[in-house]
Amino acid sequence: MKFTIERSTLLKILAHVQSVVERRNTIPILANVRLEAGDGMVRLTATDMDLTIDESVAADIGASGATTAPAHLFYDIIRKLPDGAQVEITANDGRLDIVSGRSVFNLNCLPAEDFPGQGDGDLPHKFTIGSAELRGLIDRTRFAISTEETRYYLNGIYIHASSGDDGGQKMLRAVATDGHRLARVEVELPDGAEGMPGIIVPRKAVAELRKLADTTSAGIEISLSDTRIVVSFDNITLASKLIDGKFPDYERVIPTDNDKLLAVDCRTFEAAVDRVSTISTEKSRAIKLKVDAGNLTLSASSAETSSATEAMEVDYDREAIEIGFNAGYLLDITQQIEGSDAELLMADAGSPTIVREAGDLSALYVLMPMRV
Amino acid sequence: MVHNSLNPEIRRLPEIIVNQIAAGEVVERPAAAVKELVENAIDAGATAIDIAVRDGGKAQISVTDNGHGMTPDDLLLAVERHATSKLPDDDLVLIKSLGFRGEALPSIGAVARLTLTSRTADADSAWSLSVNGGKIGKPVPAAQGPGTRIDVRELFYATPARLKFLKTPRTEANHISDTLERLAMAHPGIAFSLEIDGKRRFQYWRPANDLLDNDAQLFRLAAVMGQDFADNAMTIMAERQGLTLSGFAGLPTLNYPTARHQYLFVNGRPVRDKLLFGAVRGAYQDFLARDRNPALALFVDCPADDVDVNVHPAKTEVRFRDPGLIRGLIVGALKHALAEAGHRASTTVSQAALGSFQAQSQAPYRTNTNHYAPRGAAEAVAQYFAPPNTGTAVGIGLPDLDAGPSARDEPFSEMTSGEAQDFPLGAARAQLHETYVIAQTADGLVIVDQHAAHERLVYEHMKTAMANGDVARQVLLLPEIVEMDEAAAGRISDRAAEFAELGLILEPFGQGAVIIREVPALLGQIDITTMVKDLAEELAEYDKALGLKDRLADVCSTMACHGSVRAGRRMQAEEMNALLRDMEATPHSGQCNHGRPTYVELKLKDIERLFGRR
Ligand SMILES: Nc1ncnc2c1ncn2[C@@H]1O[C@H](COP(=O)(O)OP(=O)(O)OP(=O)(O)O)[C@@H](O)[C@H]1O
Ligand SMILES: [Mg+2]
Repeated sequence: MKFTIERSTLLKILAHVQSVVERRNTIPILANVRLEAGDGMVRLTATDMDLTIDESVAADIGASGATTAPAHLFYDIIRKLPDGAQVEITANDGRLDIVSGRSVFNLNCLPAEDFPGQGDGDLPHKFTIGSAELRGLIDRTRFAISTEETRYYLNGIYIHASSGDDGGQKMLRAVATDGHRLARVEVELPDGAEGMPGIIVPRKAVAELRKLADTTSAGIEISLSDTRIVVSFDNITLASKLIDGKFPDYERVIPTDNDKLLAVDCRTFEAAVDRVSTISTEKSRAIKLKVDAGNLTLSASSAETSSATEAMEVDYDREAIEIGFNAGYLLDITQQIEGSDAELLMADAGSPTIVREAGDLSALYVLMPMRV
Repeated sequence: MVHNSLNPEIRRLPEIIVNQIAAGEVVERPAAAVKELVENAIDAGATAIDIAVRDGGKAQISVTDNGHGMTPDDLLLAVERHATSKLPDDDLVLIKSLGFRGEALPSIGAVARLTLTSRTADADSAWSLSVNGGKIGKPVPAAQGPGTRIDVRELFYATPARLKFLKTPRTEANHISDTLERLAMAHPGIAFSLEIDGKRRFQYWRPANDLLDNDAQLFRLAAVMGQDFADNAMTIMAERQGLTLSGFAGLPTLNYPTARHQYLFVNGRPVRDKLLFGAVRGAYQDFLARDRNPALALFVDCPADDVDVNVHPAKTEVRFRDPGLIRGLIVGALKHALAEAGHRASTTVSQAALGSFQAQSQAPYRTNTNHYAPRGAAEAVAQYFAPPNTGTAVGIGLPDLDAGPSARDEPFSEMTSGEAQDFPLGAARAQLHETYVIAQTADGLVIVDQHAAHERLVYEHMKTAMANGDVARQVLLLPEIVEMDEAAAGRISDRAAEFAELGLILEPFGQGAVIIREVPALLGQIDITTMVKDLAEELAEYDKALGLKDRLADVCSTMACHGSVRAGRRMQAEEMNALLRDMEATPHSGQCNHGRPTYVELKLKDIERLFGRR
């Protein structure tokens, strides 16, 4: 195997794939990136067994073939070569020679045959989604992914086609929850997604996918079975195992008859919550909202007798209510809202509250109160 | 305090007192004989007592003192039953000396070959008297300086049955040594030495005369309990209704699997009393795992009529008129001291750390004493490697700390050495192995065990919140159903009301399950299932009559453990600094709930020592 390539071209794809590689690996081959040259293209692959990223780029191929080299080391070397340099890469005899200008590196390789295969399997469902839509689905839900590992089925984003039972249009939905709050975001159902199974995409795949989605404005092609998802666009392919578990029946916890509508200016509200909650040092950062006609008073106190309050004008005409929240959770949600107007739909101090952007039905957040 | 009778005139006890005195064997084993003899020496005002035993005390026990001695007449009376010089008012209620029954010497004389040799300060010669199996001889002149020497040979030769019950000489010798240690702790002003089969077991010196009472006591405790104890001891001092409690208690970080290192003295008398162990357990429960025990030596002084020492002939048990008062005094004083010491992690811990660092540095570079290299060269090399000698802390550049992949790099640079490190626990500089936070303080460095520290903080916050009755609860969007065996589910459900006060709202859910609806908010995201199962398991061990509040410490610990940052989680710089600040603001945060330290501190001078710069 031999090819020549421009340093920054190689660096870009290497950066993409190497981020999958775990820093500490018990299986040596998993610390390596697979390189394959042929047909005027170089193809790089890295995997952690659950998640695989694969990217190709045009290069000047001297001899086709394949090998594997230590991913992080390879990446560091290419990173330190001067911008605009040409890099010549040759594999021979269990070694990878990297030559650029007057620099020569020899790396130890492992045979390409030992690199875990992708085991494609059948992917019966295929559809294409716009990259902006996909970014939107991920960005507005990932904050609610659970980090607590015993309920592993909450450690990812649940993606499914909504039934449309409520008479509405069928949508493609992304849902995440950690048991304290929930985020549900939907986009129009792409062609071909109607029959898709509900899938749970693991957190790490979500993170990598989100990074890669930034590099394109093209449509993103998604293929899946009920155990695997493959996402491809441009010359990149990301394949991941899905979380094998049942996502809870989340619809049941979304209230439908919360009628205490509080309308706030989102930025003003956000800043006030942030200010007032400074006082509480604990992780739970409780903040109390006291609402009566046209007025919202935010208050917080800490066990040590410090306290803070702030009042603001709001749109509210229902009966007075007092309700507590984890300020951190509240801010996580307001940060998802881009527009200036936010709405809180409450029932009582012990029942789920809905937060959403006024006039935007595509995203909905459910927040469980805190009793303070 | 022991009041030595300075007037050693011996009188016969009236019949009534004789009957008041509980009958029973005074001397059940060699250690008991030693105890009696040494107490006599103490009562005689001795300042130095030397003990020698052979064959576990069976072959020989001799006790030599420099006390006021006895006249030949005294000798004869001393070996008669119920002759004592120590009950001047014939009032058993007002016992101030260690001996009072006048039965120790006669009892020993009845079962052994006993020889008393004594000389008073103003006599020109000593006199000696022997008793063999109860047969009293005649005083004969002997050669000896002022003071008394008691020799007991062939103990129990007259009662072979008793002899059979004795353990190996080694065991008996250990009992003797234990007994003497306790007496020595109670009498820091007296020098003690013990020789076993010709070999010196210990020598406790008298403290220098200019030491204050308290320091003298600690000096003696250090000699008996070890320097570790003295270095990690908190001073205990409390007074209530005529009772005084004094002494020293070890920091929780100095702990042991048994309660063997707990000593109680009442009016100078070593006693073994369950009351002490219970009180100590109560006071330390927040700081120690159930199977660990602190070390301490406590001294209660009370009016003689508040305590009955005549419960047992061996006088190791006492009965207090008001045990609740004593218990309260002990628990209160210990808790107070523990609260004050909340930030003092045991120095033994950092000593040990230091020790192991030093062990490593033994290897190739032994530069401080022997300059094998030509002098000039060695100095040049030393200077080359030495950090700039500014005398103050040198900012630790993070890249240097980044030794392996598990050290993380975070932009810490904006934290200047000036500000954050002025805090007691300093400024976080790095996280190592995703388990330890390294912080730089004004004069050293602090290593925090993030899990232990966080667990402690959660626990303390929970306790405060519960005390104020305002435990904030996070309502669960997805209530969690926890399945377990029926009995366990029943135990949990039975206490639902109590759990509610602790912020855990649950209901029974069919048979063998409970449903959790709300959790204490400060636990954050937790593994509820495991936590509830752990709680159920603990409930099985509790006394049903006890409310959960009585086991608050245990319950909180269990919850805190689940709500804490486990080892192995990466933390952001702000998160680490917040942890440090929170620790400073929280009482008792120097130890985790299991008594392990949450942080250790290495002073710059310790570090300098490691490098042989001092
Ligand atoms: N080492 C000693 N120095 C001076 N006098 C002593 C010494 N040992 C014993 N005596 C005298 O002998 C008496 C009898 O001692 P003995 O130990 O039998 O009784 P006690 O100490 O009065 O009471 P108890 O039986 O409670 O120990 C003491 O009261 C004391 O006067
Ligand atoms: Mg006596």
